[in-house]
Amino acid sequence: MHLREETVLSYEGVLEQSAANLRQLLKDGEEVIGYIYPHTPLELILAHGLTPSLLRALPGVPGGFEESLQTFACSYIRNLYSQRTNDQMPSLAGLIFPGNTCDSLQNLFDVWRFRFPDDTIFRLTYPVTRHEKDGSTVKYLTTELQLLSEAIEKSLDRPFVSQYFERAKSLIGQFRKDSQYLYGARLLDPSVLSYTDLCRLARAFLTTPLPVIGSEIYAITSSVKEKMKDMGFAGTVDSILRALKTRDFSNIDNFEPIIRPRIIVTGGMVEPQAIANVITGIRGITDSVLVLDLLSFGFKTAFTPPLVTKGTPFEQMAKSILSSPGEPTQEGLIHRVKYLESLFDALQIDGVMICEQSFCDPDQFEAPSIEKAASKHGIRTVRIPIDPELSDRARMEVRIQSFLESLSKS
Amino acid sequence: MPILTETKKEEKVYRQLESNTLLQQIMFQYMLEGHQASEEKHLAWVTSGFPVEIPVAMGVGVSYPEQYGAVVGSQKVGPELCGYAEEIGYSQELCSYARSSIGSVEKPSESPMEGLPTPQALLACNNICGTVLRWYDAVSEQTGAPVFLLDTPPIDGEQPEHHKEYVRRGIDRLVDFLGRTFNATLTEKRMREVAALSSKAIHLWTSSLAACKNTPSPLNCADRFLAMAPVVSMRGTDLIIDFYQTLLDEVESRVKNSIGAIRDEKIRLLWDNIPPWHAIFRFFNGLAKRGVVFPADTYTHAWSGAIEGDDLYESVVSIYSNVYLNKGLDAKVDKMCELIEDYNLDGFLMFSVRSCKRYSLGQLISKELVTERTGVPGVIIEGDMVDSRVFNEAQIQTRIDALLEMFI
Repeated sequence: MHLREETVLSYEGVLEQSAANLRQLLKDGEEVIGYIYPHTPLELILAHGLTPSLLRALPGVPGGFEESLQTFACSYIRNLYSQRTNDQMPSLAGLIFPGNTCDSLQNLFDVWRFRFPDDTIFRLTYPVTRHEKDGSTVKYLTTELQLLSEAIEKSLDRPFVSQYFERAKSLIGQFRKDSQYLYGARLLDPSVLSYTDLCRLARAFLTTPLPVIGSEIYAITSSVKEKMKDMGFAGTVDSILRALKTRDFSNIDNFEPIIRPRIIVTGGMVEPQAIANVITGIRGITDSVLVLDLLSFGFKTAFTPPLVTKGTPFEQMAKSILSSPGEPTQEGLIHRVKYLESLFDALQIDGVMICEQSFCDPDQFEAPSIEKAASKHGIRTVRIPIDPELSDRARMEVRIQSFLESLSKS
Repeated sequence: MPILTETKKEEKVYRQLESNTLLQQIMFQYMLEGHQASEEKHLAWVTSGFPVEIPVAMGVGVSYPEQYGAVVGSQKVGPELCGYAEEIGYSQELCSYARSSIGSVEKPSESPMEGLPTPQALLACNNICGTVLRWYDAVSEQTGAPVFLLDTPPIDGEQPEHHKEYVRRGIDRLVDFLGRTFNATLTEKRMREVAALSSKAIHLWTSSLAACKNTPSPLNCADRFLAMAPVVSMRGTDLIIDFYQTLLDEVESRVKNSIGAIRDEKIRLLWDNIPPWHAIFRFFNGLAKRGVVFPADTYTHAWSGAIEGDDLYESVVSIYSNVYLNKGLDAKVDKMCELIEDYNLDGFLMFSVRSCKRYSLGQLISKELVTERTGVPGVIIEGDMVDSRVFNEAQIQTRIDALLEMFI
């Protein structure tokens, strides 16, 4: 089985493939709702008969934000805004912004509303509180989701359809289940599926969550499962998956790393595909060194738990979102650091690449804590400033290469 | 000789407030109380938008890192303290209040007043920005003090019922957290006393602010930025009532006698955002020399809500959710326009603070809207409130000159 050779695509190729899928969808008359925050309820959008599409920061976007945003707005929102001013965004029926996540995104909504008054935009405001025991966050988010649903219906004349919702639950649930397995399998044998391919599959699905793409991911997951079984790793992968989901790493089966060094990438809303692209661009390095990412659009999206069956649809979605791995925009640094420390030893991690987007408060505040946690465990780290344009790519590659060489020597 | 002294005083372009002496005494006492509370293991650090009346009513001492940031800035040691945080990994792009605070915890012996007294808890309310949580998380790692977050999701228009209920549950958890951490209790009677004192101080304070509608304005920006310190940090204590009464008396006396905060008031401007603490006197006095006074600003007007009514906690929820920075762009523009009209202002100056994204992003739009609605011109200058490394004085001067030329 040679998944890598069969599916490998350049970063630009992946972007184009995703964009082409979206264009085809629009051509077919589908209405698309864009979203820019990883914990947007895809099931809700699908339940309204609309297609959710993750809009991401893109390389090669010229300026265009200068009249509306200062240079100290984070590079992610500058890029998104510039895409809109340069007409680089697809034709959308609406766009969902997050509220109460970070100050840049909070203000972006207001700026957008003023500059593009004809755009249909919505805001879903999330609770920052986590780990409370009084149920108030679920209750709050449930109502927010319900209000969002009402706003979508009112603006676009698309009612919430239970049948669509159930179908969406199944589709999204299967995607998460499959991508979780792929994450688990790669932790044992990162060569079983390249990180680039994992990112490509996730990107394709999140850009156009269609059954056909879900089926492709399912087929690849099935192949990987078979391979794991053949290699006698099935039980160990299951134990890793259990640990990642329950956040208890004490019962992982012992395993001997197949490839070293074993690197984790952290960095909030940094684009996983961009990281994969930078790594594979370095001569003599394959992305098999990346055994896990803890990125918002990667691991944290995949490991959002499936919807439970109890409660109203809005309550189900709220519970799922609030049970997903914590973000640096939320309360709970102590829990996130503890999780990270737990997996360092259990998953035999050799190094951490800490990516930070410029002027991204959440990334930049969390980076020193990650460094400290790694240092406690004798694990080396490297800080990689990154922007969506990959404008400092040559220096990034040198830093990463030096870092990997230092790990090899040690 | 007395006549000579009087003449010399009158020659100053900027008139000092006599009540500043009392202000210094109060702030000194506040500092001592903070140290005592810390020694008694009864001190919490709080953000400026935190409902401080609750810890105060529970007998918990409080200190304000943002206020400490202002001290760091005004003592011109921002770059050094921010640098200490940068040395341990915090990016120079992060908030300079946060960096100077983290830096002072890292190297207290090299910080003004040897840093703030050590906290036993960190109380953050994100109604002023999202950064406060991450900043306090960082300080928590340094000090071991636990963080309590009161989450007040931003509001766009009226605060919906589910928002109110959510924040109310947060208040319940706060009382529980303080009870557990400090072995303290909250009684309705004590809460009413503290709320009454807080409301009284705020009433006196806002009366002084409102007096600036007069021409000449009895207070300038720097006066208000200094005088707001007690209402930020000691709301709910009786210690500050005397000060605000004295300040109001002095302000009213100035109004009665047509004495302005500056000698020769020609141009009245609105100030938007936190001030450049590292240049506060030089900046505002420099403009005073050119006849520019700032009778109003969006920053000091933020402390204006009184806790009252049958359900005090409902009042707390409403006041602390509806602060200026927790609302959308429309509300900010409305407030600026209201101040420009009520205070009869000729224009406005917006300080685009690199540290403060919540306050500053959106200013490019606000500027357009405010001018469109009020017809007065404005200008945006960029810099930072504590970190003087990113304050380009020459560039700022050029921009201000361009604005002032419009009034000639």
